[in-house]
Amino acid sequence: MKKSHIIMLILVVVGISAIASTFVDFSTYETFSSAAAKPGKKFQVYGFVQKEMDMKYDPVQDPNHFAFFAKDKAGNIKQVILNDAKPRDIEKSEWIVMTGYEENGVFHCSRVNMKCPSKYKKEMVTAGKG
Amino acid sequence: MDQQFIGEHLLPGRLGHFFVIASFVATIFSSFSYFSSARSESAGPAISATWLKMGRVGFWIHFLLVLAVFSVLYYIIECHLFEYHYAWEHSSFSMPGKYLLSCFWEGQQGSFMLWTFWQALLGLVVMYTSGKLEARVMTIISLVQVLLGTMLLGFYFGDNIHIGVTPFDMLRDAMQNAPIFKNPNYLTFIKDGNGLNVLLQNYWMVIHPPVLFLGFGTTLVPFAFCLAALWAGEYKLFVKPVLSWSLFNGAVLGTGIMMGGAWAYESLNFGGYWAWDPVENSSLVPWLTLIAGLHTLLEYKSTGRALRLTFILLLLSHLLVWYSTFLTRTGILGTTSVHAFTGDGSAMFYHLIAVLAVLLLLSVFLLVYRWKTMPAVVQEEETFTREFWLFIGSAILFISATHIVVMTSIPVWSPALKWITNKDFSLLDPMSHYNSVEVWIAVLIGSLSASTLYMKYRHTDNKTLLRQLAVPAVIALVLSAAIAAFQSINLFQYDLMLFAAVYGMVCSVAYAVTIQKCNLPKSGPAIAHFGFAMVLLGILLSSFNKHVISNNTGEIFRFGNKSEKENIREGMENVILFRNKAVKLGEYLATYTGDSAVEGKDKRVYYKVDFERTDTASKKITEQFTLYPDAFINPKGQQGLSANPSTKHYWDRDIFTFINAVQTTKADDPSSVKKAVVRNDGDSVQLQNGAFMIFKGFRKLGRDSRVAAGDSDLGVAATFQVYGTGGKRMKDLEPVYVLLNGKTPQMNPDSLIEIGLNVRFNLSIADDQRPLADVMIQQQDPMDNYIVLKAIVFPYINVLWLGVILMVFGFFVSLFSRLRTL
Repeated sequence: MKKSHIIMLILVVVGISAIASTFVDFSTYETFSSAAAKPGKKFQVYGFVQKEMDMKYDPVQDPNHFAFFAKDKAGNIKQVILNDAKPRDIEKSEWIVMTGYEENGVFHCSRVNMKCPSKYKKEMVTAGKG
Repeated sequence: MDQQFIGEHLLPGRLGHFFVIASFVATIFSSFSYFSSARSESAGPAISATWLKMGRVGFWIHFLLVLAVFSVLYYIIECHLFEYHYAWEHSSFSMPGKYLLSCFWEGQQGSFMLWTFWQALLGLVVMYTSGKLEARVMTIISLVQVLLGTMLLGFYFGDNIHIGVTPFDMLRDAMQNAPIFKNPNYLTFIKDGNGLNVLLQNYWMVIHPPVLFLGFGTTLVPFAFCLAALWAGEYKLFVKPVLSWSLFNGAVLGTGIMMGGAWAYESLNFGGYWAWDPVENSSLVPWLTLIAGLHTLLEYKSTGRALRLTFILLLLSHLLVWYSTFLTRTGILGTTSVHAFTGDGSAMFYHLIAVLAVLLLLSVFLLVYRWKTMPAVVQEEETFTREFWLFIGSAILFISATHIVVMTSIPVWSPALKWITNKDFSLLDPMSHYNSVEVWIAVLIGSLSASTLYMKYRHTDNKTLLRQLAVPAVIALVLSAAIAAFQSINLFQYDLMLFAAVYGMVCSVAYAVTIQKCNLPKSGPAIAHFGFAMVLLGILLSSFNKHVISNNTGEIFRFGNKSEKENIREGMENVILFRNKAVKLGEYLATYTGDSAVEGKDKRVYYKVDFERTDTASKKITEQFTLYPDAFINPKGQQGLSANPSTKHYWDRDIFTFINAVQTTKADDPSSVKKAVVRNDGDSVQLQNGAFMIFKGFRKLGRDSRVAAGDSDLGVAATFQVYGTGGKRMKDLEPVYVLLNGKTPQMNPDSLIEIGLNVRFNLSIADDQRPLADVMIQQQDPMDNYIVLKAIVFPYINVLWLGVILMVFGFFVSLFSRLRTL
């Protein structure tokens, strides 16, 4: 390695990481209560679809509105609204990750990642926009 | 299990498993023979030559046995021997013949076989072309084949521990607990296989995996040559073959990756060709390190610099292929990937870790062992030389690869971090994260790739260089400013990327014309760099102004830093299309006009959507076309639908549509029949949505075509005037009542499609001897028949595809001109 190499490399790394650091949005899997503490801020919540509770998707009323209930890992149940069609097989999901924000006691999300057991395969399905 | 079963074909499976094990043993033999040949090279040339011959024979046997395994599995799938788990799980009777091959690579074992096959074939080519390095290169290649072979062994130790899985497992062994297998006659109950995943029933899935696996497999060749060079301590012989192989590899792997993108684009509803999904990322990364290694190898060839980096990059490339296998096949990606991949339990997990560890340790050991004695140039190079910028460019590609690997591997390292910080880490918005970092890589690589062409090794005259670069730079500046204005690309970093891409294209053309005088054999690099820059331009144009037209809140794009709330408000991307009711989608009027089902094991329904564009000034229809987005309804016994997009291609943009939900009522649903009685002229019947119809009397029919042919058949028609919503007079309906042979009644309905109306009647004679009609009316509520559609416009996506094709063409031009001069 020559001096000039090292300088160039450092410049590149510093440049990229400086810019990247302003964009990097690491998050942790949170609970509904931490999302509720900061309404409007984006969170990822890990939880479980409440299959026995009401699920509503009526495209005639709004094709971008799917409402259901989910329980987070702390055990709290909250209504969740996804701004997309009802994801296929969400009733069968083992667990889901919801990306969105809290407002007026409802968790609005743009994306639901879910883990689905199919008969002999485990596959991942994403609904909404990646 | 001593139970006997009836109707099983045991021979193919036993034969297949035998071939698997035999081909595994053959590679061990081959590897050992080649190794002995290399060891005895200096001591006894005669012994070495004998060992070499044995190594060749071993490898040939291995290749033939791999072919045999392939044939047996093909036989099992083609003959639908569902007593084999693989055939049952991945194929079915109703599956079209062209997808038989796709069954191979749907499963883990089949794709390992495909990989084994390509590496065996490449090994044969290397065997006859590697000259003095053969013994060493082939030792490594057979060794990797041994490791790959273990994935298919299918040796079981107890219930949970096994080494590899063969594709020849019996269905009854794979599902031991199912009660059906208590019955010796069980095969008579298995009428059909599970069938191919509906998402994979697509021509892209027939051609994409073989190309991708050929690309993966080819990384083995530079890997083996590099290890062979390190082992021999000889750093000249490997350069030429590795250059050629890397060019081939860059072309094939690049094609394979972009075919995957095309598959996702054409047949999956992910809404695009690239989503920074872990599965996509982990196939891109080996390509990046390979391209970086190819460039440092060029530097080494001309100046003797960067040998160590070349080794590191090319070795990494193959190791990363194994790492990508680890990521995508062990289920470790869990939360982050949309691609369906099996998690085959912990056996696969530790098995792949073991293979990776063996290859990594071998690479590290040889590198460390030779590190000090590798030739290196002490003197520092000048700043404006090709070698300096080749090095920088490769370093940037390597940084990009590192970034992608680290971020893609979050599920791998976040458990460790969780152990320390007690938090689960993840990327909140992968798309915008990767975009916002990789755009800078694109800026740097785009502008470097073309400029470096102009530089000379060792010394470049600065003034000449500046003059040569200035003209393309000015042209590119003007062009990109114009494009930015027209396409309203208004984010600083993407303007820079636009400039870099356009500059890369202009510069490559200028180089090919002014310096290389349009000499085709010489201009491989210029073409490949032009293609690469064009890919960047295509990505930028198609993604930046990608917009959803099936929403009513205006355009969206995900490049800016918007709040989640804004994203969600703008993300209303679905629109509902009621049957026969036109809806405005962007500049089009879209009308859903009906569906048609294709019967099969998995029911596939095509939804017909007419698009119309009207000139705003003249009000004339300027364009009409129909798209048929389709969906499998309740595939494989699951609820819901699995959609396939339909796309309208223009030269400058694509309109991409897919179905998200459907509702269609069945016409013969008895509950939807409404009844009424009419007897007098002027009797009216209410219909839905304010429509109604008025009875205008009976009419006796003679030999009417609507009455069956018999002489004694009697036919009576009832006339109804139908008025639509708002009292608008529509068509008259004339359903017919027929008495066949004077005794068998039959009702022939009449219908009015516009309002989904279907009318029939039963004739009877009332007490006053006058006829009366019991009318049965079925009317589909248009609200009960709709599709939910998403429609996205990708502008200038053809720039991207053309760029890929040109880049691959450039690789091949370089490859052929190198092969000619060998």
